Amino acid sequence: MVPVQMSVDPNAYAALSALMFFIGVLGVVLRRNPLITLMSIELMWNAANLSFMAYSRAWLNNAGHIFTFLVITVAAAEAAIGLAIVVILFRPRAQSNVDDAMLLKG
Amino acid sequence: MESSVISWPLIVWLLPIAGAVAIWACGPLLRRFAGPLACAVIGAAFVGTLALWPAVAAQPAGVHVTMFTWAPGITVGLLVDRLSFIWLTIITGVGFLIHVYAIGYMEGDRAEARFFAYLNFFIFAMLTLVMADNFVFLLVGWGLVGLASFWLIGFWIERPIAVEAARKAFVMNVVGDVGIMLAIFALFATFGSLSYADVFAKAAQGPGPVMTLIALGLLAGACAKSAQLPLHTWLPDAMEGPTPVSALIHAATMVTAGVYLVARCWPIYQHAPGAMETVGVIGALTALAGAVLGVVQWDIKRILAYSTMSQIGYMIMGVGVGAYSAGVLHFYTHAFFKACLFLASGVIIHNLAGEQDVRKMGGLAKRMPVAFWSMLAATCAIIGVPLFSGWVSKDAVVYQTLAHGHPVLWLLGVAAAALTAYYMSRMMWVTFAGSFRGDEHGAHAHGHVPAWVMGLPVALLGAGSVVIGWLNWPHEGFAEFLAPIFGGTDVAPAAAWGGEFLSTQIPLFIALIVGAGIAYLQYGTAGALAQAPARLEREAAAQPAFLVKLYYWNELLDALFVTPARALAALCARIIDPKLIDAVLVRDVATDAGVLGLLFRRWQSGLVRTYALTLLCGAAAIIVYIAVVR
Repeated sequence: MVPVQMSVDPNAYAALSALMFFIGVLGVVLRRNPLITLMSIELMWNAANLSFMAYSRAWLNNAGHIFTFLVITVAAAEAAIGLAIVVILFRPRAQSNVDDAMLLKG
Repeated sequence: MESSVISWPLIVWLLPIAGAVAIWACGPLLRRFAGPLACAVIGAAFVGTLALWPAVAAQPAGVHVTMFTWAPGITVGLLVDRLSFIWLTIITGVGFLIHVYAIGYMEGDRAEARFFAYLNFFIFAMLTLVMADNFVFLLVGWGLVGLASFWLIGFWIERPIAVEAARKAFVMNVVGDVGIMLAIFALFATFGSLSYADVFAKAAQGPGPVMTLIALGLLAGACAKSAQLPLHTWLPDAMEGPTPVSALIHAATMVTAGVYLVARCWPIYQHAPGAMETVGVIGALTALAGAVLGVVQWDIKRILAYSTMSQIGYMIMGVGVGAYSAGVLHFYTHAFFKACLFLASGVIIHNLAGEQDVRKMGGLAKRMPVAFWSMLAATCAIIGVPLFSGWVSKDAVVYQTLAHGHPVLWLLGVAAAALTAYYMSRMMWVTFAGSFRGDEHGAHAHGHVPAWVMGLPVALLGAGSVVIGWLNWPHEGFAEFLAPIFGGTDVAPAAAWGGEFLSTQIPLFIALIVGAGIAYLQYGTAGALAQAPARLEREAAAQPAFLVKLYYWNELLDALFVTPARALAALCARIIDPKLIDAVLVRDVATDAGVLGLLFRRWQSGLVRTYALTLLCGAAAIIVYIAVVR
């Protein structure tokens, strides 16, 4: 077992994290609005962050904190690029749908 | 003796490559100073060699420098013992004289600097060969001298014949390299080491058949490098290279590497009597076969090339019958008189604007006195006029052959000596006596290089051809000097067959008189000289085709190897290349990749959400794999 007794069982954090991640995945796969897609991705990042923090506390290991900061940084960069793409998608026809962007079709 | 890190052997070894690299790098800047620089480097190496003398004389085992470990169990080092020292003095000493000569000979050539870089590189390669303390390093040197020889034979790249000759020499030498390499494999498998010291110490324990195979592999290398039967045909063709190259590589040093190899590996040959017998027979046959071909040549350099082949035959015969120090002695004197002959012929060729046909010469004694007198001295040496250097060494070889119990080889040696006396005297009379038969247009105008640059090395080597054999006096000085190497095994009891004087010197002297006498009657008398041009033409027309065609040996090798190889190449070009390489390995692979691409491009829908779903499925599959399978 984990060395530290926590008021909430770490498995509960893990379950919540998994739930958040799955909601994010569904959002990316099912929704066509690029803004929603971005937010879903954000949700998945944060699911990962939650796991990092919970187990960092449980194992008394600060590596989890550091990775969380790293994830936040990357997520911010990703959001910036993602929003820029959304703007470009939006410009030609004043609406946006991720299924319209099909330039990578083989 | 283990010597310190910075030591004379290392300096001697590295000086020439430093010179070569410097000239390669700065050739265009150096221009005609490349020659003097190259000479200075080799001169310094010669001085370094002489500085090694006290250590070599004091230490019977020689000076040993360990350099680095190349592979587990194989350390690479330099070894200068008495045997390598003898070669070193020739490589750097005679090499230096030939370098100096080359300044004059190559003056004004399009690529003078490149020539001297190659020449320095050759010296480095040759030093590697003789200074190696193990078989791997020996093979490295062996290959590098072949490379230098290839570059220098084909130095005049605008002449297709020269390029062809270079390629031929290289290919035939690689045949020998492969023989040595196989011998090295067998040595390592048998003895677990490749250093001379280890191998020779354990040579007696080697199983007989393996030792014979090893010795024959080494012999293949020696035959290729030293132009012995049946791999001799490249040497005469190699005369397409500049004359200093012929003197340095194809007379004095590289072609004697085979003699060095057999002498160096004598403990192996001692335990492979069959292979040793083969060495002796090949040497004697080559001595005779080369001399016979020398008789029908008209190109002055080709006459000398066949005489080189024949003289190396003597050396190989010497080391093959077990008279190692006699073979080495003949190498030593040969380096002087043959280098002298080549350089003197170079003076003639240079002054006659490239003419090499002796029929177009004649009466040159007065026009080129230095070349004449030097060549006369060297000719007296090679045909064995008493007291000249060649007389000392050839007598030693032929007598030791008899004393070691090979009367048939002795007979071949005496016959070859008679032929040598004949064709060399013939060359001298045709070239220097009578009146000039060429056309006068080719009087070579000298540039800024003074005449002594070419004259002095020729004269010095001519003087050497006279006196250098005296090193063997008091009697058998060479054998005494080399006794620590050969353990005194190589000198037969002096009283065999009635002693050297009766059994060898008298027959050889008779051979000399007969050979030179016939040449005189044919070419030297006033009558013969008076009607020379017509006579020589008539004679050339009457020469037997079998000899003019060089025993059809080139044709034989062509039929046995070159034609099948070409047929194989044609077969590959017609069938294997288009049907297998082009069709199956190239076009079919491309088609298959295209078909796979057609299949998989369905996945590339361009829909981001599909990709996300694929990712999800992949991640899920991995999780399931980890959870269930492991």
